[in-house]
Amino acid sequence: MTRRARELEMLLLTMFAAVPLYFTYAIAGTALILFHAFTGLMALRVLLGRTPELIPASIMRWVAIAYVPFYIIDWMISRSAIAASTHLVLFIAAYQPIESVHRQNHAQRLLTTALIFIASIATSTHITIIPFIVVFAYFVFRQLMHVSHEETARSIGHEYGEAPAGRAAGFYLAGAIVIGTLLFPLLPRLRNPLVRGLSGPLAQSATALSETINFNDRRAAQGDATVVARVWMSDEMRARFTPLRLRGMIYDHYENGEWKQSLRGLRQVPQRGPQFSTGTAGGHEGPAVVEMRPQRGKVFLPPNTYLLQGPQTLYEGPARETYYTYDDGPLRFEVRMSTETAPLRPSRPRAQSGYPISPAVETLARTIVGNEQDPARKAALIEQYMIRNFRYVPNDQAAEPITLERFLLFERGGHCEYFAAGMVALLNATGVQARIAGGFYGGQINPLTGYYAVRREDAHAWTEVWTGTRWMTFDGTPPTQRPGATQENPLRLYAAALSDSLTFFWDRYVLTFGLGDQISLFEDIATWSGETIATLTDRLRSGSRTIPMGNAAMVLGAIAGAVAMVLLFRRRRRRLFDVIASYLAAQGIAVGPAMTMEEALRQLPPEAAEELAPLIVMYEQETFGATPDRRRARTLKRKLAELRT
Amino acid sequence: MSAFEFNGVVRFTKVGTVYLIATVILAISAINTGNNALYIGVALMLGSLLLSGMASKGGLKHLHVDVGAMGEVWAGRAGRGTLHVRNASRLWNIRDVVLTSDVLAEPVLIPLVGRRQTVTVEVSFLFRKRGRAHVSAVDSYTRYPFGFFLKKRRLPVTSEVVVFPQLLGGSASTERFRSTSGEQTSANRAGTSSELHSFRDYARGDSLRHVHWKKSASLGRWIMKQTDAESAKAVHVMVDPCLPKHGSPDDFEEMIAAAATFVWHASRDGFDVTLSLPRATFRARDGEAASPLFRALALVEPAYEPVHQVVDRHTVLFTLGGQHDAKSA
Repeated sequence: MTRRARELEMLLLTMFAAVPLYFTYAIAGTALILFHAFTGLMALRVLLGRTPELIPASIMRWVAIAYVPFYIIDWMISRSAIAASTHLVLFIAAYQPIESVHRQNHAQRLLTTALIFIASIATSTHITIIPFIVVFAYFVFRQLMHVSHEETARSIGHEYGEAPAGRAAGFYLAGAIVIGTLLFPLLPRLRNPLVRGLSGPLAQSATALSETINFNDRRAAQGDATVVARVWMSDEMRARFTPLRLRGMIYDHYENGEWKQSLRGLRQVPQRGPQFSTGTAGGHEGPAVVEMRPQRGKVFLPPNTYLLQGPQTLYEGPARETYYTYDDGPLRFEVRMSTETAPLRPSRPRAQSGYPISPAVETLARTIVGNEQDPARKAALIEQYMIRNFRYVPNDQAAEPITLERFLLFERGGHCEYFAAGMVALLNATGVQARIAGGFYGGQINPLTGYYAVRREDAHAWTEVWTGTRWMTFDGTPPTQRPGATQENPLRLYAAALSDSLTFFWDRYVLTFGLGDQISLFEDIATWSGETIATLTDRLRSGSRTIPMGNAAMVLGAIAGAVAMVLLFRRRRRRLFDVIASYLAAQGIAVGPAMTMEEALRQLPPEAAEELAPLIVMYEQETFGATPDRRRARTLKRKLAELRT
Repeated sequence: MSAFEFNGVVRFTKVGTVYLIATVILAISAINTGNNALYIGVALMLGSLLLSGMASKGGLKHLHVDVGAMGEVWAGRAGRGTLHVRNASRLWNIRDVVLTSDVLAEPVLIPLVGRRQTVTVEVSFLFRKRGRAHVSAVDSYTRYPFGFFLKKRRLPVTSEVVVFPQLLGGSASTERFRSTSGEQTSANRAGTSSELHSFRDYARGDSLRHVHWKKSASLGRWIMKQTDAESAKAVHVMVDPCLPKHGSPDDFEEMIAAAATFVWHASRDGFDVTLSLPRATFRARDGEAASPLFRALALVEPAYEPVHQVVDRHTVLFTLGGQHDAKSA
């Protein structure tokens, strides 16, 4: 590689290191654009065969001196030491190539580039940072090899040809990734109790759900594939509890033209040990696992949940039967659901939602339900009526916002909130208490991992009807037009599933990997080892011929590794006498129990004896002296190792 | 080469020290913030550090050096030779390897030794003293791959070489060994005829036709006849290895160096040179290499007792007995 190509690569690497900062908004975009423009021009000069000295070095030195007070001003203006320091590092990165024309500073430039890289990864939480790290590391390795070559050439006082480093860099990158991957879960996750971290909470996604429903406002919800929750269920549970619903909002009254929630503050959820009770079970029941990131503290749970475990804190509120947590980051709940979950504290709901029902709507409702008296049957009739006679109009295709009255009597088309609210109005008109529930519906099962991925675009509203003992779910929106009902290209579906699996892995096992996970990991390893050993022992005792070879190999490998570690440790812990005796044995002198080292020394050839004599003196001082000295012992071992080589 | 002189087998370079400090700072930041993106960086940096150590150690560990062909080697003068460097590793290539040794005139740099490859490099050997020299070890150093560490490993070498004596240089020496053909053809020197001019001891390569049988029988050793023509182009050099009490080993070495220089100049000027040592006589005829003579001079050891040697009037004698200079007897 020519000097020009190397310089160009170094400049491009520096520019590349700063690219993620555009997406993390860690610093202002203007500073980044300036940096990239300046460095880009230098790269252009190098490409044209000139030096990167865009501005004369003498002038740049004065600019650098002037930057010192500017750094303090920058700090005061931005009120962020991190932002000001990142600006400073970018300035240095732009200054160093100019300085390099007059002074060898390749290693310093690499360090500055690494600092920019750290700023980039420190503020990134998206999985795309991984390819960025890999590419960056590859080129850094190449540059480090060049630095190593330069240093060697300098030490011997003359230049010599450098062997190509591309393949070697790839080889070392693969090795570093393997070692890094093994190290990552083992690095200590203990937070400093004295100085809390500077980083804020992870980026939070928002739902398409609003705090109120107002049909006079145009909804601007757009398709957003961001995953808000993942749900694991057994096949039996899927049969009973899908299509999946995650509820986070309950709009139970109409006031001032809006459907609103009845806010009443946060209340402690009854807790037994680590479990929180949110209802009483009835009918068939079973477990599920919900992993989600709370939306500004709001927790979305399946409506049939009666017990859950996982969060440190859980409150009911701000509305009845909605839940809130102070826990941060993605959470994992183990929930129990039943087909007939009833509220924990049954209380009579509002008699009416407060929606002004017109005679025309009341007439329509009576027409639909006829003489039916049972609330659930009435709800079912209305649901069927709406499914058959109404059509779903997505948000973005609706011409103008319309009133609920107009939706029910004339348009007969709208988005899910119209259906949910319309059904509440019709049920209220027949004397049945009902409310609108907001949350997410459906989700897509990931064929690779087996969980349901619920996305922002799955936001939905439906109706809940009070049967006298519990709330039952009804949904007037035609099923074929509910979220997730559209058929997608299978290839695209699998691509989305793969992408989601990676994101899930990244979220679960990288971004949120913590001390608890480390403990779980070690527990799992210990449990697995114990079980495997027990299984193997049983099978061997019973004379079974079918031994799981994979498990056996892993256990044997682990035992071999442990033995190797013990041997290595013992080797390092050998007594000094043994170490010297071993050396002498290699020279053909067997040191017997009655032999002193002096005697052994006399048997050596004069040259070897001369080399070993000072070490014997050190050994005697260490062994028989008043105060042992670890440093002396280490020196002795090291010198003996040198003699061996 | 102070850059390569250090105790132990590994030393952190400046680049390595800075890298280590950066890794520690990043690790503290990661622990402090619990930011797993930083943990990824730390894990990768530690992985690179570990791999760098493994690569440099693994590379040097499998290096083997053998001394190849070596020409005439003179004490104090660089001589050419070859080293065969073999990388027996199945995994690691090794680059930027520097070999140093007391016997190498300058550090040898090998840009790349691929795994399971052998590289032959031309080197300059420099031996300080004449005699039988053992090349027992070569130190290998590398910063490869990332320049974090300077790793050192002593590679055992088994090689023996006879180092010829030092040749004295400088104008005085040149003058001292100036060709004096005019003087040598003086009356008392051997002429160009085939008549008997003098006698001398047998030297390896002499024809039996020139044996003076009568003298040989009386003296009990081979005595050769020397004609005028032979004597005119011949020099007989004798080295008395006796080191008197007042003489020092350095004086002895200087005498040997002077003798070797004399032989070298005489041989270069086309003389037949006969070198007599207490128990052996060596001869280099015109056009023949004088290597056996230098080899003999390289291996001659000081004697602490007087040694009996026959000196004739044309012999150039190098001795420390009484005078420290060459003299004719």
